[in-house]
Amino acid sequence: MNELQRVLHIEDDPSIQEIVRIALEIVGGLIVKCCASGPESLEVAESFAPDFILLDVMMPGMDGPQTLRHLRDKPALDRVPIVFMTAKVQPSEIEEYQRMGAAQVITKPFDPMSLPQQVRDIWSQWHAAD
Amino acid sequence: MQPTDQLRAQLKQLSDSFRQRLRAELPALRDQAVELASSPDIHSQTLQAMRDHLHKLAGSAGTFGFPELGRHARELEALASRCLQQGYAGDGAQRLADGIARLERLSLEPQQELSLSDEAIPVNCQARCIQVLEANRDLAVRMAQTLESFGYRVQRHADAVSLESALRAQRPDALVLDVSPNGPGQALLPTLAQFQRSWGQPMPLIAVSDDDSFAVQIAAVRAGAQGFFTRPVDLAALENRLERCFGLLHNEPFRIMVVDDDTELAARFATVLTAAGILVETVGEPRQLLQQIESFQPDVIVMDVHMPGHSGPELAQMIRLHDTWLRVPILYLSAETDLGRQMEALVKAGDDFITKPISDSALLTTVFSRAQRARLVSQALARDSLTGLLKHADIKEQVELEVERSQRTHMPVSIAMIDIDHFKLVNDRHGHGVGDNVIRALANLLRQRLRKIDRLGRYGGEEFVAVLPNCNTEDAKAILDNIRKTFQALQFSGSEGSFSCTFSAGVSACQAPEWQTEEVLERADAGLYQAKAQGRNRIVAPQQKQGML
Repeated sequence: MNELQRVLHIEDDPSIQEIVRIALEIVGGLIVKCCASGPESLEVAESFAPDFILLDVMMPGMDGPQTLRHLRDKPALDRVPIVFMTAKVQPSEIEEYQRMGAAQVITKPFDPMSLPQQVRDIWSQWHAAD
Repeated sequence: MQPTDQLRAQLKQLSDSFRQRLRAELPALRDQAVELASSPDIHSQTLQAMRDHLHKLAGSAGTFGFPELGRHARELEALASRCLQQGYAGDGAQRLADGIARLERLSLEPQQELSLSDEAIPVNCQARCIQVLEANRDLAVRMAQTLESFGYRVQRHADAVSLESALRAQRPDALVLDVSPNGPGQALLPTLAQFQRSWGQPMPLIAVSDDDSFAVQIAAVRAGAQGFFTRPVDLAALENRLERCFGLLHNEPFRIMVVDDDTELAARFATVLTAAGILVETVGEPRQLLQQIESFQPDVIVMDVHMPGHSGPELAQMIRLHDTWLRVPILYLSAETDLGRQMEALVKAGDDFITKPISDSALLTTVFSRAQRARLVSQALARDSLTGLLKHADIKEQVELEVERSQRTHMPVSIAMIDIDHFKLVNDRHGHGVGDNVIRALANLLRQRLRKIDRLGRYGGEEFVAVLPNCNTEDAKAILDNIRKTFQALQFSGSEGSFSCTFSAGVSACQAPEWQTEEVLERADAGLYQAKAQGRNRIVAPQQKQGML
C-alpha cells in the first residue's frame, strides 16, 4: 500500500474548493488539485495520478454521479477511492452512491480541521479492505 | 509542527469572504423569489436555479461558521423542491422570499469561529430577536430590560397592528404576547396560528395573561404557546422558559462506538450513523478498546458478538469492570437468532441485541433512541436538577483537570467562586420558590456570559464555581464584574413586590510566573471571603504567594 499524498478535489463552488485545499494542504500536509467541473477532472485525472478523489454530488452540467461513472471507466484509477461530498443525505441515498462505486460519503457541512483525518481514515479502510 | 496562526488567519479570511458573498447573493436571491411570488406563471427554471443555490448554501454555510444559516437553507431547499413538484400555487414563493430574508439576517450575525473554539470569545452573544406585545407598559419595559440583560434583542409593540406587520415581514425567534381576554393579543391568535403554519419551523410563543381559565390557555396552545404565565409575571421564570424553548441546554451530537472486526461492515454502519449527524468511532483492535473508550467517551457502544480471539460478552464484561462505564449501554450486533443464546450473552453483560441483517433506518432508530436515553440519564446523574449545571464533585474534578492541564501546557486558568449576597433573606422574605428563581437566573446568566470552553458548577446552595481556561486573573475579574453589574440590575418579583440581588466572587488563577501553585480553589474561596468582608457585591482576587516563604 503506497502512501496517501495526492488528492483530486472536484467541486464547482470556489469557496469550498479553497477551504478544502487549505484544510488538506496545511492541516493534512497533502497535495491537492482542484477541478471546477466533471469534464475538467476527466482531462487531468490520469496525469495528476491522485491517491484519493473527493467529488461533489451536485454540480451544473455533468454532476457527481455522472463524473464518477466516467472516472471509473479509467483503468489507471482502479485502485483510487472516490468519495462523494454532499449535504446531509438519507441512508438510502448513501447506499445508492455506494452501489455506483463511491467508497464513502462525507457529509456537508464538514469540519475543516477534522477533514484530513476523515480522508485518511477512509483511505486506510479502503486499503484494509483489499 | 502545525502553523496554526497562519491557518487561523486563512480560515478567518475565507469565512469573511464567504460572508461578503452572502451579502451580495442573498438580496438577489430574495428578489427572484419576490418576482416569482408576484408572477401568475410558473417559472420552473428560475425555481430550480434557486433550489440549487439553496442546496449549496445548506452544504457550505456550516463549514464557514454559519451552522444556523445552513440549517435554514436546508429547510428552504426542501420547500423549493416541494414547490417544483407541486407548483407553488398559494404562498410557496412568498414563504421562500420570507425565508431568504431570514437568511440575510442570519448572515449578519456573528459567526462561530471555525473549529478554533479554544480561542477566547469574551461574550456569547447570539442576539436572538424577541417581539413583545404587552398591554401593561410598566411590565413591558421591565420585561424588555430583563431579556436584554440576558443578551436577547427585544422589540416592543404598542398594538396588534404593529406586531402583525412585523410578523409578516419576518419570523422572530420568539414572541411574548398578552393574551388576556380583553388584551391586545387576543384577537391576533387565529392569525398567529396561520403564521405558524406558514413558517417552516414553529416559533416559540410565550403567553402572558391575567386570566388562566381553560379557554384562554387552550386558545394560546392552538396558536403555538410553549409557555403560559399569569400576572404578576415572574420574569426570571419566563426567561428560563425561553431558554428551554431554544434548547440552549446542551445538544452536542451523540457519540457511538462501534466494535467490530469486520471493517467493511463497521465502516458501513459508521457511514449511516455519521450521515445522521452522529459521531462514530470504530474499534477494530479489541486491545485498544479501553483506551479508546476513555478518549472518545461514547454514549452507546455497539459490539459484534463473535470476534476472533475475544467474544463480545467477554469484552462487555471487561468494560463493566470499570465503574465509570457502567451507565453506557452496550448493544450486541449479531446474526444470532437463538433466543436462549441471546439471553445467555445478556446475563453476562450488555443491554440489548440488534440482529443482523438490519436495515439502515432500523439501525439508526435503535442506536438513536438508546443514545438519547443514555444521555438523559447521565445528565440527570451529573447535573444539578435546579440549574442544569455540574454538581459539586464534578465541578471540583473539572477544577483539578484544568489546573493540571494549565501546569502542563503553561496556559493560564482562572477559578471563580461566586456566592449570592444575603440569600437567606430572600428565602426568608419571599419563600424558597422565589429563592430558586434567583439561583436559576444567576445560573442562566453565567451560562450565557461565559464561553463554551468554560466549566460551570453549582457548588453549594447559592454558591457557584466557574473554571475559565486560557484566562488570567485580570480578564476573569473583568468578565465577572460585567456579569455582576447585569445581575444587580435584574428585577425579581417576590411576595413583597419586586427586588434585586447581588453576588460576591473570589478569583484565583494558575498563571505565570508561579505555575506550580497549589490550592487554587482555596484561594478563590479566600477571595470570596474578603469580598464579603469588604461589603459584598464585588470581585476580589487575592495576591498569589510568590515562591516559598
